Amino acid sequence: MPASALVTATVESALNKLLSLDEGSKKRLKALNGARLTAFVSPLPYGITLSFSDRVDVLSEQGSFEDAVASLGAKDCCIKTSLQTLPELKETSQLTRLIQQKALFLEGELNIAQQVSALFQQLDIDIEELLAQKTNDVIAHQTVKTVKTVHEKSMSALASMAKVFGNAVVEEKQLAAHKLAVMHFSDEVNALRDRAESADARLRRLEEKFK
Amino acid sequence: MSDNQTPATQADSAIDNATEHTTHFGFKQVDKGQKASLVANVFDSVAAKYDVMNDFMSMGVHRLWKRFTIDCSGVRAGNRVLDIAGGTGDLTAKFSRLVGPTGRVTLADINLSMLKVGRDKLRDRGLVSNIDYVQADAEALPFPDNHFDVVTMAFGLRNVTEKQNALNSIFRVLKPGGRLLVLEFSKPTSEQLSKLYDMYSFHILPKMGQLVANDAESYQYLAESIRMHPDQETLKGMFEQAGFEQCDYQNLTGGIVALHRGYKF
Repeated sequence: MPASALVTATVESALNKLLSLDEGSKKRLKALNGARLTAFVSPLPYGITLSFSDRVDVLSEQGSFEDAVASLGAKDCCIKTSLQTLPELKETSQLTRLIQQKALFLEGELNIAQQVSALFQQLDIDIEELLAQKTNDVIAHQTVKTVKTVHEKSMSALASMAKVFGNAVVEEKQLAAHKLAVMHFSDEVNALRDRAESADARLRRLEEKFK
Repeated sequence: MSDNQTPATQADSAIDNATEHTTHFGFKQVDKGQKASLVANVFDSVAAKYDVMNDFMSMGVHRLWKRFTIDCSGVRAGNRVLDIAGGTGDLTAKFSRLVGPTGRVTLADINLSMLKVGRDKLRDRGLVSNIDYVQADAEALPFPDNHFDVVTMAFGLRNVTEKQNALNSIFRVLKPGGRLLVLEFSKPTSEQLSKLYDMYSFHILPKMGQLVANDAESYQYLAESIRMHPDQETLKGMFEQAGFEQCDYQNLTGGIVALHRGYKF
């Protein structure tokens, strides 16, 4: 069974379901009509294309990033990045930096990538309303309120646990180095590497001179 | 199927008994002129329950095979696509959205009943603006030379009387640079899977056909026609004979189905 087809089918169903839950998404989707966004995200083994019409069709790209770029149309955008870089793409101000650092390769219409990002980031789904249609207002309100409270408390507990754990590991048990010490160490390693490279270059020059 | 013969020996004997004027219809030998009407009878009979039966028989996996075919098609906005033996329009529906308003998709099928079911289904889904419906024989496609960017044929080639003629005809209507994708049942790559598959096809499938579509015979034909279809390498050779280049195939679900691809340059 082609695993890629199973993945794209699942993603496609999920995306279209999400969009159908937000009436406002129709307008944003209409603006993307006919556009395509292809993303190659390492280490995923193949690229994913989102093709926009009155819904989103998700396809797996069997070729490489270069193949996809070669067949780009006027309303196409193709990006290549990694899973680690993905969260940084939320900040459009970071795009130039990421491209310069070669953490992001972008070909075609940048505008499309931004519109796709807006389509999903601006999703406004009234879960309480949806739940109320299946149960009733009181149950829906209480359920959503409880989930929100549990989520907030869990996040706060996790943050506090991470802080306590960090202190214990760095300060009390001294199992890990402090952040500043790691940065200092990295700087020293960088300086050492620079000196080694410079010595290497000098040695090569001397070698050539005495040949 | 007789009890003392395996599907493989029956298929071999059907091939041995073939003459210049006959062809196979399942394991039977029939006059070449008769096959098209016999196949038409099968599809007239199953058209109404075709989608339900496909889902039921393949447990939904046929949707993934078709989706993979679309992924490999490289279809772009503005392309002209021909979906031969398109039946109830599974591929056409997605192609219609992918080519957009500037492209066109032609759903062709030799069987009018299937074409009507497909047309109704697509219209019900609101897909009307860029789809043409053509009743056409794959062996003599009624389209100009060098006309389509992509041609697909999903689970149709094995029902064609002269498969080589169909491939030649497709080659003619494809534009240079265009590609053909044929999704078709093929030969399982493992012996164990092959035995299991034989048991399923010849013992369970006709019973499912009887139960759901009240038609065991058509599904017996389906199983037999699959065994009579050329294997992966033979079909690849037929692609090359028609003039296609860079031909390759990908086995899906252990070779139960194979996707063949070839380009016209």
